[in-house]
Amino acid sequence: MDVTETDLPGVGKKHEVDIGGGQQLVVVTHNTGTRELYLKEDDDADSEKLLELSDRLARMVGTILEGAYFQPVESSHVETMLSEGTLLEWYAVENDSPLVGKTLAGANVGQRTGVTVVAMQRDGNVIAGPSPDMQIEASDTLVVIGERENCEQFERLLTGDL
Amino acid sequence: MADLLGIGVLFAAVAAATLVAVWLNKSVIPFYILIGMLLSPSVAGQFSVAGYGLPVVESSEFVELGAELGIVFLLFFLGLEFNLDRLLESWERITRAGTIDLGINFGAGLVLGFALFRDPLAAFLIAGIVYISSSAIITKSLIDLGWIANDEADPMLGTLVFEDLFIAVYLTVAAALVTGGSDVGAAAMSVGVALSFIVALLLLARYGTPWFERALQTTSNEFTVVRAVGITVLISGFALAIGVSEAVAAFFVGMAFAPTTHTHKLESLLEPLRDTFAAVFFFWIGVETDPRLFAGVAGLVAAAIVVTTPTKILSGYLSGRAYDLNPRRSMRVGLGMVTRGEFSLIIAAVALTGAGTSLSTALANAVYSFTVAYVLLMSILGTMLMQYSAPFEQFATARFGTE
Repeated sequence: MDVTETDLPGVGKKHEVDIGGGQQLVVVTHNTGTRELYLKEDDDADSEKLLELSDRLARMVGTILEGAYFQPVESSHVETMLSEGTLLEWYAVENDSPLVGKTLAGANVGQRTGVTVVAMQRDGNVIAGPSPDMQIEASDTLVVIGERENCEQFERLLTGDL
Repeated sequence: MADLLGIGVLFAAVAAATLVAVWLNKSVIPFYILIGMLLSPSVAGQFSVAGYGLPVVESSEFVELGAELGIVFLLFFLGLEFNLDRLLESWERITRAGTIDLGINFGAGLVLGFALFRDPLAAFLIAGIVYISSSAIITKSLIDLGWIANDEADPMLGTLVFEDLFIAVYLTVAAALVTGGSDVGAAAMSVGVALSFIVALLLLARYGTPWFERALQTTSNEFTVVRAVGITVLISGFALAIGVSEAVAAFFVGMAFAPTTHTHKLESLLEPLRDTFAAVFFFWIGVETDPRLFAGVAGLVAAAIVVTTPTKILSGYLSGRAYDLNPRRSMRVGLGMVTRGEFSLIIAAVALTGAGTSLSTALANAVYSFTVAYVLLMSILGTMLMQYSAPFEQFATARFGTE
């Protein structure tokens, strides 16, 4: 893979990325942080402007392109609003959580907090729709769905505050 | 009108100029000049509506100092964006392209200047005026047209960098010659003072970085701005007081700040300040211009356009070839370098300071109005050539092939 970097005095920097088939992706980073994306069909062609992104947007798009989780599941509090008031949330299970060692049914999550555990992530594998007899282990990540207050309730249960 | 109302009229006028520029999708610089000209005593001052005079902005002390600050900040930014180490990496190609550009255009300018004005100092000033392309307008056009992502941007920006470096030295000599008067000894003396001051500044830029680094060490944006402005304007003002170009001093102060960790912050914080005062500078250029004098220099301007458009296209074309570009892209480099702008006007302002001493008043005024008319037309012609480059490119390909 070939990437060339050029200084553009007074403007910023230019990166040309070989993307195969003779095509080149040209990224112009302005001193202001704005990024311009161009496509060059072949060596001789004129660059065709694809789009322009602000500094913030460019970083966000960059994370997605990089394949990094845009909503990092490691975080103990990441929320996605499904509809008004209903959240899809990720919770990391800490070592000292009172739920460690209990099964989903045994912890009685649904009854005590009103949320539903829709998925579990363990060692990089995602178990969708985990069965009630699955045991919760430390460093699992639980994906739950429920009303905001129920999610908050669940978080207290998980951390032993309840 | 030097009161607040007058300043209000000035800023409202340049604000209106930006609207026109956006509407016509053109660079705003010529419109700043034009609106300044319209509101000057020599245009608006001549008319009255129903017995009331039109609002006139005269060249007050505020306007002149504002314009001077505009020059200082323009050049300060130029210095700030100079990265000497980066520059040295591609120095060989930049020097080759820059030398071609300098040789052809400065040389043609000297001959043209002497033919038009019959005065060696005027010829020297005209050479600088027709040599220096407009970094501001050309860079803006490159971005607007999307050429910035193409190969032709490299020789263009490289040549602009070379020109900017050259103009720093040139302005020093020009300012010294103009203030030095016609006495050869005095002129040599002031050139000597100017050059030693430049060497001192160069040493400061080279070895003063730790000091500049510490000077701006603060978490407050306010303190950063105030300290940077304090240092820059003080050194520039001192330079002017001892007869050295304030623009050049500002350029070196910018260069001194360039290697520090504050560069990026300075750029974003001072940009609005630069743009405000640069607008005042271009406006002031317009105010100082009496369009009636254009008639007297029309022939000279026409001659200059006929000579210096092809010379820039030729030098640009050769620079493109020196960068291993094909004829089509080299032609674009040539067309793109035609625009002249802010630096030519700065030289014209230098010429004006010599009125009555080193240059006769009539000659200084002629050089000045010549430059304003020349820059106005070249900024339009240059951007048009870039916009409608297709037939020129076809010609280059047909004539010189595709490789």
